[in-house]
Amino acid sequence: MSYATLGVVIGTMTFVAVLTIALAAEARINDQLEKYGANLTILPAINSIDMTLGDLSLGTVTVGENYIDQDKLPEIRQITDGKIREALDIQAEGDIATIAPKLYLTADIEGTSVMLVGIEPEEEQKIKPWWQVQEGEYLNGSMEAIVGATAADLLKLNVGDTITVNGSDLYVTGILGETGSNEDYQVFIPLETLQLLFNKQGVISSIDIRALCNACPVEVIADSINQNITGVRAVAVKQIAHTEMGMLERINRFMYALAGITLIIGGFAVFNTMMASVNERTKDIGIMRAVGSSRSQILRIFIYESLITGIAGGILGYGVGTLLAYVIGPLVFENTTISFAPIFIPVSLAVATLIAVAATIYPALRATKVKVADSLRAL
Amino acid sequence: MLEIKGATKIYGNGGAKIVALDNVSFNVNKGDFIAIMGPSGSGKSTLLNAIGGLDTLSRGRIVLNGQRIDNLSEEALVSIRRKGMGYVFQQYHLLPSLSVLENVMLPMALSGKKGKDGKALQLLRMVGLEKRAGQRPNQLSGGEQQRVAIARALINNPLITLADEPTGNLDQKTGREILDLLKRVNEQGCTIIMVTHNNEAAERAKEIILLQDGRIVDRKANVR
Repeated sequence: MSYATLGVVIGTMTFVAVLTIALAAEARINDQLEKYGANLTILPAINSIDMTLGDLSLGTVTVGENYIDQDKLPEIRQITDGKIREALDIQAEGDIATIAPKLYLTADIEGTSVMLVGIEPEEEQKIKPWWQVQEGEYLNGSMEAIVGATAADLLKLNVGDTITVNGSDLYVTGILGETGSNEDYQVFIPLETLQLLFNKQGVISSIDIRALCNACPVEVIADSINQNITGVRAVAVKQIAHTEMGMLERINRFMYALAGITLIIGGFAVFNTMMASVNERTKDIGIMRAVGSSRSQILRIFIYESLITGIAGGILGYGVGTLLAYVIGPLVFENTTISFAPIFIPVSLAVATLIAVAATIYPALRATKVKVADSLRAL
Repeated sequence: MLEIKGATKIYGNGGAKIVALDNVSFNVNKGDFIAIMGPSGSGKSTLLNAIGGLDTLSRGRIVLNGQRIDNLSEEALVSIRRKGMGYVFQQYHLLPSLSVLENVMLPMALSGKKGKDGKALQLLRMVGLEKRAGQRPNQLSGGEQQRVAIARALINNPLITLADEPTGNLDQKTGREILDLLKRVNEQGCTIIMVTHNNEAAERAKEIILLQDGRIVDRKANVR
């Protein structure tokens, strides 16, 4: 294999490896986003209150005397699933979106004001895959509570302890790992239990909805809910998706730049090799010119050579680049599965051929300009 | 057939100016075998290169069969090299990556004549190397390589064969064989202009032109 081919192989290999890894990373993030889903939050149409834990202010949450009527949940599901079915052309029956209603109430526990959150345990867990039970177990029964990491710390609660809420004892079944959000300061108990303890049956404070996919029409669903259901305000939350996709885009841009630079370096390698090759073959070129070769015939020889170099380099570069992606991909993006990307075969062939031909044109033109007598004298 | 009139070649300019050819004029007729002799630096090879369109003149003109060839474009010169001239160099100048037969056929292939190796084999038979057709040049001796170069020079039936010190790299015996071959080629009607500083080589020519400091200082018919 000539150095020129090696240069093309290295350039194409890096290019293919970077593109393959970028493609796999994008697919993985898309996968994750689909798992997390695009978000919708439904709040009562009015009011907000400050959240506190002891002396700490935890920001605000939109609640108030006006709750959402729990009876509206079926209607909300109907609109949500209906719009998703419409958008993705899904025929199958059954629930599609995950709908997690919540009730926020403040209670005094051991002399400390604590935010209690009533949840549907199963739905909440689906909607928050990042939740990790650090100690103990997740909610399993009606008179149980799971405590945020900071709240457990401040209230000195351990698994197995009991907290008294409105005269009823709740068993602390687990402590959540830190999430870096308000959830760390909250205590979670089954929705029905909280409603019962505070005599708030049939009402909820907010609803989180996770749709099935990234392509789901979250804004359309929000609009439809806002138009058809009174007393609620549906807001599309696309922050996570935007942040993750934005980061991926930046990483990809960097990787493409890296691939581009490698291609340029590969191009220079080919250029240098071709220049050296032309110099080495000055004599042969002179002989060929002397026995009747035209400049265009010499030029064609070099171009044909560069085409062969490009095609061979493209094929090899694709193969080695894909292998490289298999090795490096999982190191760069954890849990990324690299898959064979046939779309890059024509791309790598085109790129490699382009580099080889572009890097050859100048040396080849130069070769044809050498005076026959000079090239024969240069022996 | 070939007319060289006032051929002058000057390298460099000003004080560094070197006059390689100085107002050289002579005619060549069909079937001639001319030896151009002279010491090193006398302008022999420069003259040969100018006749063959490998180098340009500073002044003067070269006319081949009524067509001026010293002022032709590069592409027109290609045509002259293909059809009008055959070259034999001191260093043989065979392409090492091609076989003997392919080297002989190269001028023909470059002229767009494809596939016919009959003539090339015939020429190789003439130079006694038919059986070596498939070998590479590096498998041949110097004399054999020169014979291949002569076969290559003749493949396109050139009007003139130009030979630049064809025996310069060969021992005396092999050199004589090459000169005999060139003489035979000439006797078959091919016009030859040969540059040499070897008196024995020049003796095979019909006419000797002696160059010194770029000028013709003597021209005589060879009496044998």
